[in-house]
Order: sequence, then structure tokens, then C-alpha cells
Amino acid sequence: MSTSLPSPKPAGETPSALTAAQKFLRDAATKSADLVHREIIRKNMDSYDAAHNRGRARIKDWEAARRKCQEIKREAINHLDRYLLQFEQKVLERGGHVFWAANGDEACAYIKDLAVSRGVKTVVKSKSMVTEEMHLAPVLEAVGMHVWETDLGEFIVQLRNEAPYHIVTPAMHLDRNQIRDLFREKLGEDIPDADPQKLVALARRKLREAFFAAEMGISGANFLVADAGAVAISTNEGNGRLSTSLPRIHVAVTGIEKVIPRLEDLGTLWPVLATSGTGQPITTYSTLASGPKRADEADGPEEFHVVLLDNGRSGLLANAEEREILHCIRCGACLNICPVYRNIGGHTYNTTYPGPIGSVLTPHLRGSEFEHLSYASSLCGACTSVCPVNINLHHHLLHNRRDFTKVSGPKTSGERRQFKLWRTAMLHPRLYALGGWIMRRSLRLLYGMGLAGTALDPMRAWSRKRTPVPLPSQSFRARWRSDLGRKANGNK
Amino acid sequence: MATSNPSREAILARIREGLRTPAQPMEGNTFYGPIFEAVENPLERFQQECKANLMECQLTDDAAASAQALTQVLQSLPPGEIFIQDDPVLRRLMTVAGPQRQVRWSSEGGPREQSQATITLVDALIAQTGSIFVSASGGGRGASVVAPTHIVYAFAKQLVPDLVTALRNATADGRLDKNSYACVISGSSRTADIEKILVQGAHGPMRLVVIVETSA
Repeated sequence: MSTSLPSPKPAGETPSALTAAQKFLRDAATKSADLVHREIIRKNMDSYDAAHNRGRARIKDWEAARRKCQEIKREAINHLDRYLLQFEQKVLERGGHVFWAANGDEACAYIKDLAVSRGVKTVVKSKSMVTEEMHLAPVLEAVGMHVWETDLGEFIVQLRNEAPYHIVTPAMHLDRNQIRDLFREKLGEDIPDADPQKLVALARRKLREAFFAAEMGISGANFLVADAGAVAISTNEGNGRLSTSLPRIHVAVTGIEKVIPRLEDLGTLWPVLATSGTGQPITTYSTLASGPKRADEADGPEEFHVVLLDNGRSGLLANAEEREILHCIRCGACLNICPVYRNIGGHTYNTTYPGPIGSVLTPHLRGSEFEHLSYASSLCGACTSVCPVNINLHHHLLHNRRDFTKVSGPKTSGERRQFKLWRTAMLHPRLYALGGWIMRRSLRLLYGMGLAGTALDPMRAWSRKRTPVPLPSQSFRARWRSDLGRKANGNK
Repeated sequence: MATSNPSREAILARIREGLRTPAQPMEGNTFYGPIFEAVENPLERFQQECKANLMECQLTDDAAASAQALTQVLQSLPPGEIFIQDDPVLRRLMTVAGPQRQVRWSSEGGPREQSQATITLVDALIAQTGSIFVSASGGGRGASVVAPTHIVYAFAKQLVPDLVTALRNATADGRLDKNSYACVISGSSRTADIEKILVQGAHGPMRLVVIVETSA
């Protein structure tokens, strides 16, 4: 193959002197003002919303489905050692290998050493966020291997030397013309009308060469099925199937939290994952790989390796309040509905897992440098409302804020004073009402003088770039007494 | 050779230590009714779902009609080799269908890149999702994904109402102990990675044809 690929830029690398929080604020401001980006994302999200709603309507009792999935994952996570060992035993019995990696470096070293020892020159990868998390591709490329991302979206962002924009749709931020230009530059073929059918056909042709040349296929896993000893992989394109069928070595890399107890659990998890991920009733290829090729089988890999990555996950188990974060099935629904994600986009987070689940998880996996992500939320709860395993995402963002503040305390003495004042007001309703009365009048006066958004405006964080929020004539309590309360109580 | 696993015990110890802290109780109602709509007429539902999945489903009355349906599908394909699962049922069918083209049987190895189509049997048909359930013993892993067209010869008696039943059956008959691979396939290969526009034939078959014989 003549095409050479750049290694993708690992998510989370911050080459500048800015802190992760400063970079986040800078990029969020830039991205949210990028109208072209917003239009592309709006179109994609509108399409997803319609499909997602249709998909949910096909399920008789969506809330029961969420509940069932929550129970399955809860059982697995709360007996994680038992189910991982059951899975391992099954794989070993069939001649497979299971490697337990404490962190990304150990996992990368195992796969690299395996590939080098087997004389691997070409690797095909199906989509795996865990391999993004541990920056696997650059490690293999550093020892001279060609690594091909084979999911179309991943292939596109690999050609652009970018990290995935979204955990399900990695190239969501690009339109067909940008992809046409990219293919012309990197693959040397022009498709003037940028017809998606032709663009896909070009990628298929290029990647077919890679599939048939590769000695090693690397996949992720959506689930590890304990009683069957099988790795479950969901793909629509079929790249996951080719990556795990044609090369002589299959390596499945995944987090320890992906285990589920029983094969039949997939009867609920597969449809719910597909509905939440893309709105489909089920993903086109719901695959189960349980070992190397058997003697009586026509094809398949001679070697089957499963790499189980911890990388901070086991630490979350000790925190019973936050343990359910490990229930996540990486469907991307919380990203799609999040008003923050929809405006600032996936790359702004500068993390492997963006959006609400990434904001909750990343500080636990990568430390306090990412605690600012706990504030990358309006706390509207939309993420929680769509989570197919009922993770209380916005509460976990609040838990993280609380826990980080306990450790580091308020950031400034001003902040400390503000919170003391707030606490006093909350404990004394009359004082609170007086404060509200003073604030409404002061702001009205200030805004009347045209000073909104200036240094004198206490609401400056909002109003320096936006029209000030209209001030109500009455307090909330007064409105509640007059009409709101009656309406809320059904005019009793 | 056993895999060297220096971190295995440490990870397991951390997991066990973490799980010493009891889980928080689950909130909300733990009793609920059926999640999915019951499948009243499996064959009818299977056909509906196949259509939604952009699959071609043909019902036939007997083996002769199946052979005729197969011949018609093969005639619609470009010239070139076809790959067939080496099974007595398919050998008999091919004797009647008589394709005028080169055949590679799965006993000779996996399908080649130049294969124009593959023909396989299935383990089960799933009505709820319009899916076929295949495993490695059905001609190997590549049999259902390498060629641009995948043709399936199945029987109505293989139809199960839903996914849970199909998976329970697979557990009961130890399918993943007897096969290194299995797959629930619900349509042709596809992608919507470019502007969420659906394109068929991303990496695997652009066409999936299921011939279901109802008399058997």
C-alpha cells in the first residue's frame, strides 16, 4: 500500500503552557462562536434526535428497558471479580489469552511485544475508545507498523491527525466536502461531487487492501460475556468482523467494567445500546468472538488475546456513591442531548471521553487537572434523562464538584466570602428575600444606566456577551403565592 | 504458553477491596412488565423487519422452489467465483440450482477477496429484529462478510420469536463452545458516518438475501 498515515494526535495532549481548564475555556469560546461548526452539528444532532425518538417508540416500555439494563450492569459491577474470572476461565479453556493491564502503558507494551514477536507489519483496528485512552496506535507506529483505523469515521479523523470527535460518530464535525478534500489530499483520488456513496466506496477499496494484508486485528468490546467467555462487538460497517476474521491474530482490548453476567442479557442490552447510539433496533453486526479458530473452522485467527484494562477503574469501586459510573455502555446518548456538548463540540473537552460521561469519568481516571469538567454542565439533567442504564450523571457532576472542593477548598477568598453569605441567606428566608429585593432593584437601576456587562454588573459573566436576562417584577415566592403555586397544585 | 500477568492479582485485590464497601440501594420500582412487544406472527414479523433492515427475504414452498430462487439471485450477480458453506444441504441445493460459475467450498478455506457472493445456512432466524444468527461452523467467519452479496438458505422452523430466545438457545446448546465465533446479522453492511446519510456496503455485503423455505 502506498498511502502512509499520520499517527493520530492523542486526546488530552496539551502542548501549550495553558492549563487544561484554561485551554477548555479558550476552545469553548472559539467553538461556540463558530457558526459553520454549529450548523454541521445541528444537522447531525437533528438527524440523531429523530432516529432516537423513533427507536425508543419501537420499544414497548423504554423505562423498563433502562431499568433492566441498569440491573444487569449493577449485578456485574458489584460482582466484578467473580464475572471477570468466569470470563477469563472460559477464554483460557479455549486456547485464548487474557492479559490484565494495570494501566495504558502495560497494555500497550503487551500488544507491542506480541506484535513484534509475531513479525506483524500491518495492523487493522476496529473502533475502540479504550485504545484511544491508552494511545495505542502511536506506540505500534513507533516500532514501524502500519496501523489502519477501519471504522470510516475513525479512518477520516486518523487521516486528519485528529482524535475522535464523538465516541460513536468520530467524524461528526465534518461535512462531505471536507471529507472529499481530505481524501483527495491523502488518498490521491478526487470525487468532485462529494457523493457520500462514492466517498464510502473509495474508503472501502483502500481499507480492503489493509484487511487482507494485516497480520493483526485489534478490536474493542462493547461487552464481555462471562458465562459464554465471549467478546461482544457491535458494528454497522462490518469492519469489526473483518478485523477479527482475516488477520491471524485477534487482540480485543477493553476496560474491566465491560463484563456482563449472561449471554441472554444481550437480548436487552443490544437493542438498548443500538437505540441509544444510533436509533437502530439493533446494530447490523452483533458479533461474539470466543476464541481462536477451531480446527474444524474454515478461517479465523490462530491467536486470540483479550487485554483487560484497569487504568483507574478499580479505584472507582470503593466509592459506592460513584460506582455506577462504571455501568456506562458508551452509547453516546448523553453527548447528543447535552446543550454544552452541542455548542462546544467534542474536541474542546480534550479528553478521550467527551460530553457528560467524560466530564464525570475523566477526573477520576486522569486526576484533578480535569476537575474543571465537572462545571462543563448546566445541570439541566438531560444526560440523566436519556442514559440507557440510568446513571445519575448530573448528580455525579455535583458530587465531583463537592469532592474537589473538599480537597482544594474554594478557589479564592472572595469565593469563600460569597459562599458564607449564600449560606447565611439560605438559612434565613427573610434575609434571602431582602437580598432578592435589593438585587432586583439594583440591577434594574444598573441596566437602566446602560451598565449591563460592565465591571459593575454582578451578572457580568452572563451579560458581557449576551443580552441581560429580563428582570422579573416579583420575587419567585411572591409569584408562587399569587398564581404559580395554584397552577402547580392543579388549582386546588 | 501461559500469559505472564504481573498485575492480575493486584487488580483483583483492588476490585475486592473496593467491593467491601456495600453498594447503595437501587431507587425506584423494581417490578416492570414486558420490555418488548410480543411477537404474534413470527414469519410475518420477520419479513417486515427484513424489509426495514434493507434485506431481501423470499419465501419458498420447497427445495425445488428454493433452488429456483437461488438461481435467479445468482443470475443477477456479476460473473466470478462464489463461495459456499460445505454442507450436504447446500451441496444438494447447488446440484439443482447448478450455477454456471466457479465454486469455492468452505472446506477449501475461507472466501477470497474476488468472491462475488457467499451462500450459507444459518443457526436461527430472529423475528423481533429481522436477523439471521450465524456461527463459524456456517462456512467460517468470512462467509457472511467478505463478498458483496451474502445469500442465506434457511427454514421456517429455524425462526424464533425474539433475541432473548435466540441467545438462550445458543447458551443451552453451547454454541460458543462449539464455535469460536457467532454473529447476529440484521441487514447489509452500512455506515452513516458522513453527515448521517445512510450508505450500504461500507465494508461488508451490500446485499443480504434470505431464502426461507416454509415447508420443511
